[in-house]
Amino acid sequence: MSTATQVPAPPTAPPPPRRPGRARGRLARRQALAAWGFMLPSLVVLAIFVVYPMTQALYLSFTEYNVIQAARWVGLANYEKLLSDPAFRNALVNTLYYAAVTTPVSVGLALGLALLLNRRLPLRGFLRTSVFLPVVLSLAIVAIAWSFLLDPNIGLLSYWLSKVGIVSEQGWLRDPNLAMPAVMLVGIWKNVGFYMVMYLAGLQSIPRELHEAASIDGAGAWRRFRRITWPLLANQTMLITILAAIATLQAFDQIFVMTRGGPFFQTETVVMMIYRVGFQEFAFGYASAISWVLVLLIFGLSMGQLAYFRKRTVTY
Amino acid sequence: MALRRALAVLAVASMLVLAGCAGRGQESGGESSSGPVTLKFWNGFTGPDRPAVEEIVKRFNDSQDQVTIQMEIMPWDVFFTKLLPSLTSGTGPDIAAMDTAQIPQYAAKKALKPLDDYYTKEGTEADKLIPAAVEGAAFEGVKYSVPMNFTTLLLYWNKGMFKEAGLDPEKPPANWQEFADYAKKLTKDTNGDGKPEQYGLAIADHATIPMWPILFWQGGGAVVSEDGKTAMLGDPATIEAASYWVDLVRNDKIAPIGLGGADADKLFQSKKAAMEIVGPWMTTGFKDAGIDFGLAMPPAGPKAEVTLGTSVGFTVNARADQAKTDGAYEFFKFWNSKESQVYWSVNSGFPPNRTDIQASELAENPYVAAFGEPADKSRFYLINVQEFQKVNDTLFVPALQRVLNGKASVQDAFPKADADIQAVLDGS
Repeated sequence: MSTATQVPAPPTAPPPPRRPGRARGRLARRQALAAWGFMLPSLVVLAIFVVYPMTQALYLSFTEYNVIQAARWVGLANYEKLLSDPAFRNALVNTLYYAAVTTPVSVGLALGLALLLNRRLPLRGFLRTSVFLPVVLSLAIVAIAWSFLLDPNIGLLSYWLSKVGIVSEQGWLRDPNLAMPAVMLVGIWKNVGFYMVMYLAGLQSIPRELHEAASIDGAGAWRRFRRITWPLLANQTMLITILAAIATLQAFDQIFVMTRGGPFFQTETVVMMIYRVGFQEFAFGYASAISWVLVLLIFGLSMGQLAYFRKRTVTY
Repeated sequence: MALRRALAVLAVASMLVLAGCAGRGQESGGESSSGPVTLKFWNGFTGPDRPAVEEIVKRFNDSQDQVTIQMEIMPWDVFFTKLLPSLTSGTGPDIAAMDTAQIPQYAAKKALKPLDDYYTKEGTEADKLIPAAVEGAAFEGVKYSVPMNFTTLLLYWNKGMFKEAGLDPEKPPANWQEFADYAKKLTKDTNGDGKPEQYGLAIADHATIPMWPILFWQGGGAVVSEDGKTAMLGDPATIEAASYWVDLVRNDKIAPIGLGGADADKLFQSKKAAMEIVGPWMTTGFKDAGIDFGLAMPPAGPKAEVTLGTSVGFTVNARADQAKTDGAYEFFKFWNSKESQVYWSVNSGFPPNRTDIQASELAENPYVAAFGEPADKSRFYLINVQEFQKVNDTLFVPALQRVLNGKASVQDAFPKADADIQAVLDGS
């Protein structure tokens, strides 16, 4: 599932030759050469745009750097500061809160929608498209639209909600208790279509005979779902959960547009904080250190999820 | 793919940093001879004053053939994201216009050229500039900018709403007592749901021209002392002033909580708020919205009659050579000439930067004179403070928002923020 976690194994190690021969060795070398040739473009792009900047950022995280003056080596000072920085703790808690709510809700909702839209429904194509549409839109731009919808004075959504008795006195985005739910809502709305499509593909790969056989054996709808659909979707669930968790840990776009992390840092996620510290306070060393902690966090979490789900993959 | 996505954000951030590092050491100015020079000029005048800026630059370019100004106008947030990396990489502008509050952090990083000699140079007529505007150009005794604009903030009041509330539409509040009384009278919850449909005041707490600090000054307090050395949020005068107004906002609901600057303007413009303290850039918008408004000095507080002064200044890239600096000075002189300033004032609504322009010369725009008049009663926000962002956005604004949202009392939150701000001022 991932090109970067599975580091491309150097294809230069052929199986032990059963009969030693020069011709075979040459063939292997030629294949190896071809393989490297095919991988080269991707590797170059990765090296220039991922590996090099990451290494640079790693270096910067051990320095104090304000862009104008040369970077000054400070050792682990940035990481030490991080441990006791209440702003970082706040951002981390906000991020985990955001992830802990939006990941399961997105995955659950995607599964529900996929099950629903896998049936023969009128307007099925239209409904599928509607759910998927947000995925292809730019989050930064639709977030502006959401800000308008939620505006307490001119917002359509605020108006409808006020008709059913839900009045937000300050407006969703300015209320410290409602700002986070509002950006979560937009995050879920944006991603759920993508996960739904992945689930739909999974659903369609489940052989119809299994369901038929279970029906004949007298299994009800819930039992068929529990015993057939859900286990056979394990691969999709693994992939979707990991992707969703990573996406939520990087939550930034709609927060940047809708609340800028406010009111009083109630919606400041780790990535928002990296932006603030780096591009507004010009503390690039410290911002790089936060970035690396986030990388390690996401890496650890992805590995953990992978290990957890690997054990549960099922085939019939 | 997972990890690649995971790293994408970091990669982008790092690339931006890299963009800043690449090509360091290149000089931005090549030739030092006194031939024709082209100067890159960046600013963020994307608003209604944009055409006036463009016209004056065009007039300057047409007026002579030695200096060409190549102007790039971008939104302010883009401007500030790009400025520092571009200054380091040598691709930055020769002239950058920015709010004087932003200048110290660039000056401290030695990214800007000291411009003291502009003020002593013959023929620049710098002595004709408004003293308050020139004051804002200095950081630690050195002037790093030349005024591009200067204005005070005034109280706008909606005469129609005053009349409806039974107030004299020609008489703005003169002191805090009247200000508070009027605001209460102008606040109306017509459908009784606890959320007013009309507010007495629109006052923004974040992403705005400073509004709350004016109230602190009027009460004898401040966010930071005028020399930029002492945090004053914990000062009894600040706490008293803040408590007075926070109480009016929270309990009498005279203003909505959590407005940004644009929200506050919108509220006044849509006749949902009867008063706002803001600058001349809103006159056109309010007039076009059909609002019959008056302009006055903000009501005097118990300790002082004071309003905010705010200025955008021209700065020069520290790497600019003599020829470019001379060219920039020619442009600044042209910008601040009598003719350009009359044009600027009439078309932008900002008062002129010069002291020798008569009100009669500005008769075309009736609001201009009002904004120029209280210049000597104005004060800059966070002047002489190097870390504007940290003090304002990271410490002061969140403390104020906590208080306004009832998450903390002024007595608790302000002294705490005071200590944090002091730490920043002390450079720790």
